[in-house]
Amino acid sequence: MAKKEKSKELPPLMAAPAVCGFPSPAEQYVESPLDLNELLVKKAAATFFVRAVGDSMTGAGIRNGDILVVDRSLEAVDGAIVIAAVDNEFTVKYFRKRGSDILLEPANAAFKSIRFAEGMELRIFGVVTACIHQFR
Amino acid sequence: MIGLVDGNNFFVSCERIFDPSLEGKPVAVLSNNDGCCISRSNEFKALQIPMGTPYFQLRRVIKKYGLEFRSSNYALYGDISRRIIAVLHEFVPQVEQYSIDEAFIYPALPAETDFHAFGSRIRETLRRWIGVPCGVGFAPTKTLAKIANHIGKKSSSGVFVMPDDPQGILRRTPVSEVWGVGRRLALKLESMGIHTAFDLASRDLPELKRRFSVLLAQTALELRGERCIAAEDPSELSQSISCSRSFGHPVTAFEDLEESVAVYTARAAEKLRKEKQRAAGANIYFQLYPENRHLLLSSTVTSTTVAFEHPTDDTAQMMKAIRPKLRGIFVPGRRYKKSGVLFFGLESGENAPRDLFAPDSEKNNAGLFSVVDQINAKYGRGTLFTLGEGTTKSWQMKRSLLSPDYTTSWDQLLKVK
Repeated sequence: MAKKEKSKELPPLMAAPAVCGFPSPAEQYVESPLDLNELLVKKAAATFFVRAVGDSMTGAGIRNGDILVVDRSLEAVDGAIVIAAVDNEFTVKYFRKRGSDILLEPANAAFKSIRFAEGMELRIFGVVTACIHQFR
Repeated sequence: MIGLVDGNNFFVSCERIFDPSLEGKPVAVLSNNDGCCISRSNEFKALQIPMGTPYFQLRRVIKKYGLEFRSSNYALYGDISRRIIAVLHEFVPQVEQYSIDEAFIYPALPAETDFHAFGSRIRETLRRWIGVPCGVGFAPTKTLAKIANHIGKKSSSGVFVMPDDPQGILRRTPVSEVWGVGRRLALKLESMGIHTAFDLASRDLPELKRRFSVLLAQTALELRGERCIAAEDPSELSQSISCSRSFGHPVTAFEDLEESVAVYTARAAEKLRKEKQRAAGANIYFQLYPENRHLLLSSTVTSTTVAFEHPTDDTAQMMKAIRPKLRGIFVPGRRYKKSGVLFFGLESGENAPRDLFAPDSEKNNAGLFSVVDQINAKYGRGTLFTLGEGTTKSWQMKRSLLSPDYTTSWDQLLKVK
């Protein structure tokens, strides 16, 4: 992938097979190539990319080295995957409401949940909306 | 009403978005080459360490006070600034960026609007979406909006709307805090008995014009609530290096946009040279006409951040860095309303610590550089380069406390466990 600010230069996904016939004289009707930003980024100003490190969320399909799309404009609702600051580090976990407590829950049995009782400050960075896993 | 939105302790706030360990600590961001403090957290200010204090003088007390320092990361600050402007465009039809951390906004709202609530909504959105605390001030003129913003920033709500009769506030505002009144001018005014903004506003205008300038007379009028400084006014009052213009008619060709950016860049570089300053980077904006046909982009602004390799005042160097980025923010098939360039990270060439390895005296070498550029164009980039650029990149500007380029570099993304 190119740098983010160059994202409009991403190679177009070929959505249509080659069509025979006359080229359209009306250039303004040419379809724009598909843009991954359109698919993955709803609020550009509030969207940040981060990199997942470790295995705490493998059960949710997030693997070591994946790029996560994080939208800060979204409200963290029960069951969302969020980025939160815990002990001066950022972590990606399931956001669970348990009565008045909040649970940051991993998707890997080898890791423990982190409980925030009412009144404890929990700093949410944003809500994860997509995970980009590259094979090569 | 005109609004002024600005980021509190902006550079420090940008650093804090991605580093929770800086929360609640005395943090300062240093100028290029880790020279002196150019942005301070509230905790740092509380230690009475003034703006501009050289880093080396503070080294001994780092442990004692638990001070945290960061080198200036203009790629990051420029990107966050760009995002703030994009969010403001969702609230108001016209945004005029004044500096990397300040923008005037022109809401199209009736006078009876609750501007305090409107400002709070903007502020809360910026805090949540981007993570930067901002101050918001509303007033009938730019000069008054500056004062309102100043008051807002210090209040708990972060928002202040100038009352219909601002006399009480102007009486409490020292003349030195009025927009466009520098330190030297303030001293001169004070010697004439003009101590507060109110004193200036009530002064005889022809006298101000005669003894000082038309600009100061305008400032006095603005303090009285009369709009003199228009939007996009390239007046001398503007201390930032920015340039934006609405096009006379919708522009659709990439080449035209590119040319407008080149013209603004040349103009800004000229101004920089005149003031013996250099810029560390630039933000470039294109504003589009809204189009419902198919929503390629929901926002009507596209923008990008460019950080120069070295702070520079050289048009060619700037355009070399800017040009490759422009395609990335050009959406084909759309109609463009306006373009703009804002230069940031301005440092005086005289006072800035010399960057030993910066390309030297580019202006004098104009002829040489064009030959170098031609050869490189023919045989590939990097065929010829100055030794100043270095054969390895180990000779870069000293930025030993630099945070990652979290938002502009794929290999430096924030890591989450």
